[in-house]
Amino acid sequence: MALDSIDRNPPPFFRQGLSALSKLVLFGLLSVLLMAADHRLGLSQPVRSVVSVVLSPVQWLSLLPQRAGAALQDYFKGVDQARDEARQYQARTIAQAQRLQQAEQLLQENQHLRELLELRKDTAGPTKAVQVLYETADPYTRSIVIDMGALSGIAPGSAVVDVAGVVGQVTRVYPLSSEVTLLTDRDQSIPVLNARTGQRYLAMGDPLTLGGSLELRFVPASADLQEGDLLTTSGIDGVYPAGLQVGRIRQIDRRIDTAFAKVHATPMAQARGRHMLVLAPVSDWPQRPSKAEPAPRVRPGRSNPTPAKAPAGGSSGDTP
Amino acid sequence: MIMPAGRPLLLPVNPRFIVATLFLALLLNMLLGLMGQNWLPDVLAMVLVFWTIHQPRRVGMFTAFVLGVAMDVHASALLGQHALAYVGMSYLASMMHRRVLWFPVREQPLQLLPLFVAAGVIAWLVRLVTHDAWPQWPQLLAPLLQTALWPVCSHVLLAPQRRPVERDDIRPL
Repeated sequence: MALDSIDRNPPPFFRQGLSALSKLVLFGLLSVLLMAADHRLGLSQPVRSVVSVVLSPVQWLSLLPQRAGAALQDYFKGVDQARDEARQYQARTIAQAQRLQQAEQLLQENQHLRELLELRKDTAGPTKAVQVLYETADPYTRSIVIDMGALSGIAPGSAVVDVAGVVGQVTRVYPLSSEVTLLTDRDQSIPVLNARTGQRYLAMGDPLTLGGSLELRFVPASADLQEGDLLTTSGIDGVYPAGLQVGRIRQIDRRIDTAFAKVHATPMAQARGRHMLVLAPVSDWPQRPSKAEPAPRVRPGRSNPTPAKAPAGGSSGDTP
Repeated sequence: MIMPAGRPLLLPVNPRFIVATLFLALLLNMLLGLMGQNWLPDVLAMVLVFWTIHQPRRVGMFTAFVLGVAMDVHASALLGQHALAYVGMSYLASMMHRRVLWFPVREQPLQLLPLFVAAGVIAWLVRLVTHDAWPQWPQLLAPLLQTALWPVCSHVLLAPQRRPVERDDIRPL
């Protein structure tokens, strides 16, 4: 029998390193520290970025079978389906042409009116077309990972939309990829506007009801809402541009025992789309007003009132 | 080392093989994660426990911690959640590594079930404490599947150590 068939060096008797228990305590504490840094302090982004860059080749490898499968499927889908799709798109283009012309006209009219009123323009910021790499496997969060990151100019907080409507928001940015939290995530919220009535509401993610939906919170039971109402972004948050479609109201539950209605809406965005658009956050937000000193109160009856100080250009610091 | 009776003497393990299998398990775990089903077995945990039991001097809690952090970043879970679960699991495995190997392969899974369950429970507890999120029932299936797949894992990972030492092509039998 050859000599290399057995372990020639015996296990060390004295140089055993740390004991198992102390290792457990050490690494356990390290994990807890990481969790605290991630959850409470928000300090974990550098660690995540580094690990994500190191992992990216592995992730790329693990995505290969999926890509190969998708390519095969595409190949075998056949000409018929492609022709069908082309026909559908043609029909849709014709249907949209008329609206497009109207929109063109409305846009010009709108621009003209806005210029007249000297309103801020709803400038659409730069957009980036991205592809979805994968849905994250963590069962407690709803998010997807897209194929562009800080190196491509993705900023945290950007809104992400697909053909049908708002998908979610970029919450973590790594150098080569970024993470988008879907609207149905438990921690995600979006201000919406009922397109029919013009009422504004706050929609929070609810991953459990209706297989992932949005819940409108703080809605009075008497509110004018109907099933099928379209919800769009209201644009007052400075994150989502106004007018993007968010969802449709699916379920309204008015109860006697509370003054609020339980309203659920289903998101418009397709659950498993591949191509999406990242919109840069709306940045032409007005400056925060500088802190004005409270004007001395003047009693109405007294003569010779002191003039109130002008708030603008005050000597107090104008840092936002 | 005292060997259980009737077992073949194994060749020493190739460290490169350990690294390769851990890497493959990470890859496979990522691939299974793409399916979006949370009852699929955690292959990385199985391979990690296997090497912790068979090669406690080479693979231990440090490896478990590093791989756990990698899984956390990939799954965009809470950073440290998988790491804590894997470290705990690895600790339990290193506590029982002398005992488990005395049992035949078909009886080992029963010893390992509490270990996989513990890893799942740690992850659940962490999310319950920090996130107020309740785990889903299908997740219970993952530790059971890992336990059921243990003999397969064991056979595959021990195969290179069971090869004959010297290939003799002109042997009469």
